[in-house]
Amino acid sequence: MSGDARGWRMALVPDALINPPDPIRAALPDVMRLLEASGYGVLHLPPPGQHSLLLAVIADQVAEYAHHGYAVVALGVHGKSGDGLHWRRLAPLLRHRGVPLPPRHLIRPDVDAAIEGQRLAGFLAGYDLPVEEQRRWRV
Amino acid sequence: MEKKAPRKVALVANCLLNQNAKVCQGANYRGLVNPVVEALRSRGYEFLQLPCPELAFAGVRRWWAVYEQYDTPAYRAHCRRLAQAIAPLIEQHLRRGDEVILIGLDGSPSSGVRFTSSKPDWGGRPNRPEDDWEIVPRRGIWIEELEAELARRGLPALPATGWALDMGRFDEAGSRRDLEQFLDSREVAAVTRRDKSAAP
Repeated sequence: MSGDARGWRMALVPDALINPPDPIRAALPDVMRLLEASGYGVLHLPPPGQHSLLLAVIADQVAEYAHHGYAVVALGVHGKSGDGLHWRRLAPLLRHRGVPLPPRHLIRPDVDAAIEGQRLAGFLAGYDLPVEEQRRWRV
Repeated sequence: MEKKAPRKVALVANCLLNQNAKVCQGANYRGLVNPVVEALRSRGYEFLQLPCPELAFAGVRRWWAVYEQYDTPAYRAHCRRLAQAIAPLIEQHLRRGDEVILIGLDGSPSSGVRFTSSKPDWGGRPNRPEDDWEIVPRRGIWIEELEAELARRGLPALPATGWALDMGRFDEAGSRRDLEQFLDSREVAAVTRRDKSAAP
């Protein structure tokens, strides 16, 4: 795709990592900055609550990406309900659309934020689709 | 019970946090549009990402299109469904007294705020000469439908601007200046409101 800068990778990200509340902000790595540095886009998941329609809309978008050569991962927060990912609702929506569940990386607020940041950066750098899949779609 | 302090929330067009949503050859960044993210974060805004209506309707391999091509009953119905999906979150913020602003994508047929792209005779075989569409001062279809949904809920119009990524030739420095001026004008307005309410 000449003249196009897209990175072909993106992450499902809980609201708690995009807009961390003050009490836990310092305990978490700066996920937005790490995603930007790694060339990932963001799919923002809503905060806790009932968001059936919005989750269905997000699942539709993930399916479209997953079926066309994009790499999608999910970042969660250890200790949050559903890891902050609404996983109990989202996983069946993805399966129903024929999408393999994205690899999940959980961030631990009880571990040093700098160490968790390095661990996340390593995960983001190391993940992509197999080369033959990339060649098929990313022209 | 202690009242929570109002928060500052920026509704952002989907592709400002994920350039993979852009139409082919339309992505100027790998993922996040960092100048927008930094301008908002440095001023204390939280993010609320809007769904991408074009991606969910016409897919990631869609053709480029102008306002008139998306101005169909089916696309508007699709946008209304997306608006109904995200509106409860926006409503929650507004009812709580949070400051909510909207950052769209100027020039986009869907997410344009100040400008959209127009060419009434586009259609058929996609072999148009380069840059033959026009930029007109008008909302995109998605923004029109989102604002209509918020109005149906009795919510006020949101202060809004657009990041000028789809205006033909993209000028990042100019777009950044525009956005910062808009955000700083919000700060001035907020200070004025606080001063007035504190006055005896």
